[in-house]
Amino acid sequence: MGLLDKLSGWLGLRKKEVNILCLGLDNSGKTTIINQLKPANTQAQEIVPTIGFNIEKFKSSSLSFTVFDMSGQSRYRNLWEHYYKESQAIIFVIDSGDKLRMVVAKEELDTLLSHQDIRSRRMPVLFFANKTDLQDAMSSVKVSQLLCLENIKDKPWHICASNAIKGEGLQEGVDWLQGRLSFIYGGLFAYTYTLI
Amino acid sequence: MIKKFDKKDEESGSGSNPFQHLEKSAVLQEARIFNETPINPRRCLHILTKIIYLLNQGEHFGTTEATEAFFAMTRLFQSNDQTLRRMCYLTIKEMANISEDVIIVTSSLTKDMTGKEDVYRGPAIRALCRITDTTMLQAIERYMKQAIVDKVPSVSSSALVSSLHMVKMSYDVVKRWVNEAQEAASSDNIMVQYHALGLLYHLRKNDRLAVSKMLNKFTKSGLKSPFAYCMLIRIASKLLEETEGGHDSPLFDFIESCLRNKNEMVVYEAASAIVHMPNCTARELAPAVSVLQLFCSSPKAALRYAAVRTLNKVAMKHPSAVTACNLDLENLITDSNRSIATLAITTLLKTGSESSVDRLMKQISSFVSEISDEFKVVVVQAISALCQKYPRKHSVMMNFLSNMLRDDGGFEYKRAIVDCIISIIEENPESKETGLAHLCEFIEDCEHTVLATKILHLLGKEGPRTPSPSKYIRFIFNRVVLESEAVRAAAVSALAKFGAQNDDLLPSVLVLMQRCMMDSDDEVRDRATFYMNVLQQKQKALNAAYIFNGLSVSIPGLEKSLHQYTLEPSEKPFDMKTVPLATTPITEQKTEIAPVATSKLPEKLAPSRQDIYQEQLASIPEFQGLGPLFKSSEPVQLTEAETEYVVRCIKHTFTRHMVFQFDCTNTLNDQLLQKVVVQMEPSEAYEVLHYIPAPSLPYSQPGSCYSLVRLPDDDPTAVSCTFSCTMKYLVRDCDPNTGEPDDDGYDDEYVLEDLEVTVADHIQKVLKPNFSAAWEEVGDDFEKEETFALASVRTLDEAVGNIISFLGMQPCERSDKVPENKNSHVLFLAGVFRGGNDVLVRARLALGDGVTMQVTVRSGDETAVDVILASVG
Repeated sequence: MGLLDKLSGWLGLRKKEVNILCLGLDNSGKTTIINQLKPANTQAQEIVPTIGFNIEKFKSSSLSFTVFDMSGQSRYRNLWEHYYKESQAIIFVIDSGDKLRMVVAKEELDTLLSHQDIRSRRMPVLFFANKTDLQDAMSSVKVSQLLCLENIKDKPWHICASNAIKGEGLQEGVDWLQGRLSFIYGGLFAYTYTLI
Repeated sequence: MIKKFDKKDEESGSGSNPFQHLEKSAVLQEARIFNETPINPRRCLHILTKIIYLLNQGEHFGTTEATEAFFAMTRLFQSNDQTLRRMCYLTIKEMANISEDVIIVTSSLTKDMTGKEDVYRGPAIRALCRITDTTMLQAIERYMKQAIVDKVPSVSSSALVSSLHMVKMSYDVVKRWVNEAQEAASSDNIMVQYHALGLLYHLRKNDRLAVSKMLNKFTKSGLKSPFAYCMLIRIASKLLEETEGGHDSPLFDFIESCLRNKNEMVVYEAASAIVHMPNCTARELAPAVSVLQLFCSSPKAALRYAAVRTLNKVAMKHPSAVTACNLDLENLITDSNRSIATLAITTLLKTGSESSVDRLMKQISSFVSEISDEFKVVVVQAISALCQKYPRKHSVMMNFLSNMLRDDGGFEYKRAIVDCIISIIEENPESKETGLAHLCEFIEDCEHTVLATKILHLLGKEGPRTPSPSKYIRFIFNRVVLESEAVRAAAVSALAKFGAQNDDLLPSVLVLMQRCMMDSDDEVRDRATFYMNVLQQKQKALNAAYIFNGLSVSIPGLEKSLHQYTLEPSEKPFDMKTVPLATTPITEQKTEIAPVATSKLPEKLAPSRQDIYQEQLASIPEFQGLGPLFKSSEPVQLTEAETEYVVRCIKHTFTRHMVFQFDCTNTLNDQLLQKVVVQMEPSEAYEVLHYIPAPSLPYSQPGSCYSLVRLPDDDPTAVSCTFSCTMKYLVRDCDPNTGEPDDDGYDDEYVLEDLEVTVADHIQKVLKPNFSAAWEEVGDDFEKEETFALASVRTLDEAVGNIISFLGMQPCERSDKVPENKNSHVLFLAGVFRGGNDVLVRARLALGDGVTMQVTVRSGDETAVDVILASVG
């Protein structure tokens, strides 16, 4: 990258690109969330179970996100790890109506956080407690308790309640993520820029 | 962009191919930049090219490294560079089978194939179908159906062709897409229509009725695409061949009507189909040949080539029809395209008269050096066919061949020439000396081990019997000095044969052998030592057994027997007679145009049919202790072809027993047969010991039942017997659709045709390459001679054929071929009688009113002699 590029990146004129992994159990709403975040004209009309992964792009005010939207079905979960190394942040989606599989989600999360490519890095983790529109949905506090999120000490994390179909709560999460990433990669200047 | 890179590499001096010295590990190392953000499409593209290049060069990628590279590559999907994306598709297809978890790209590809970007859609479909297996296919089925009927031709074609590939894997799923394919078949795009027709045909090809319905429909409605027409013609001619219907069927009319199509491709396809049809009459052939004749004078080289090539192929089958084109072919001799000229000349050689041969040969030798190897082989084949037709021309041919042999050329070409010379030598005894001389000259400078050993073997076989054998010794011994191990070993064997046959050469051969015993290679030394010791004994019998006529046992059988012997040590020495004999491969009688070059080397280590039977029978407990399997006959049909049950019998002969294997097939889909046994009533003193039933015989699944019979001990000459056979079984009716049988059944029986056991079942064919040596070896202890008159036979050929098939013995020294215009002939037959004794038969035939035959039989065992004489008489 040339000096000029770097400079423009520094000044926030050209948006910095970041790679994000979107993980979570099957049917938790990962693809729907990403679909909502995309520009309106490129959004897909129908969402089908992902096999493997999809690559999607969207922009926030200061960053350009490239999201690897991974398949959540159990037999593909072991393929997540191929993409850990080059990602700068993780979005972990939980179906807050699915009490039964909360333990499965916790188990997957623990495996994820203790993976050698993740363990030692201070990468931000954003949790979406999705499907809050469901009748018996748990609150985000309850979800974070069940997942023992308070035990995560070495990584910045944040949990948002969301309703991906309506798009509620998503922007809050993305703003948080942007803030953390700008802090880490964009330097203080860009961080303050986003605060203003 | 790639070009720019190539240029740079060229400048850096890596020669014409920038990828020449790629290291796999270095390339994989470079592939790490796929993980960088942002992606540099130009560099990634170049690395993908390198990976694909390596894969195509046959470089082996381990699963782990391939998977790692593959997953790194998947990240490139984030780039929107079109070239890069399409390169990714190619990489996915190349790596589909070597990397793990390739299904990871399924969603990404599905997105591309349903997306807006048309350039992505076709390739994405093709890549997707490569990584999809049967279980995943359901998930993309919907998209495939949509893609098949897509408006964009490239998408539709990709989907159709990919479906065609998947038919092999998941027929049932693809079958559900028939309606979509049907719709695509009415497309306006010629390629889509062609591909749709292809898919429809492959989905239905096992159902003859459906295929003919489809043909009917399309021949009526007509098609737009000439490709589809060609396909229809091929389907129609295949169907015609299968149904063996007369040529008055509508299918033939359709093919003939295509001769008048506007498109030249279709016209050619139709003509070619008609010309290749079996049993085509001259009247049906005429329009096709006249079309080809027209093509011969077409200004387009491709058409001229196609026409002359087709004519060349059928020249032997329909000479009279092709002769009609001779004038046009003559014009093509001077065609500027050498391939066309070659084919024209070889066609003329096949159809022309003897007088024109010299002229044509002169013509062809004027440019033989300019044509490619492939066509030189065609020329050699034509010459080989010609030699059989006009044996008197062999000196012209031999000269020509030896000139060709001296020119440069690849292995296939040289092999064709050598095979051709060998066949000339075998056909014409008077050409033997010149032929051998040419071959000797050839091996002086021959880089092909296979050919050198083959020629050395031939020299060993034929050389000693020529008037001056000594002149070959020098050529052979030169090989011992100059060549590789395999050739040296072959040369030693050939030398030994000279020593064994020619007493005056023996001392010199022994001296040469002595030198060979110092060779650096084990095999060569072993052979030399062995032959040296055998030769020093100076015994004719030893020579015959160990030098002229080598082992006649089956090699896998010998290996198995020796292994068995070492497992169970015993006092008795190993007995060669317990080893099953090698079945002489059923050599097809060389047809007139035996394609010399295509005769493949026999696969030596593949177990023979008999070895397979041996194994099958040994696994049945009742048949243990019968000893080695001596002979298995060809299957004999015991029913008509189209009956309820199809039964064929294979006769297995053992030392004292016979096992009859009945392969039964039940062709009734509403019956399940159980406990199937074939009951046998012998006419002679044969005793049936055991029946082993086939437990159950469902619809169309063949099963076998066996009968074990003891041969009569007291009368060893009773070798022939007739068995009347009845198949007995329990029938359970069942539902034709589900195959679910009723609870109870009833006994039934079915009368089969009689089964004959003849003398041929007791004798195994063995080829003795040197019959006279074998004749001396057996000796005249049990020689008997008798004279018979074969009244019913009119020609010597017929008599020879009858004797061979009756006795089931191997004709030696090519004595099964009766020279023309002779009225006497000697036939040599060799075989091994049940029990392991060699049997040799010499039959002198004389043609008078009928044929008179004087039979002399020799064997190591009197019974065998008696059996043969008794059965002939």
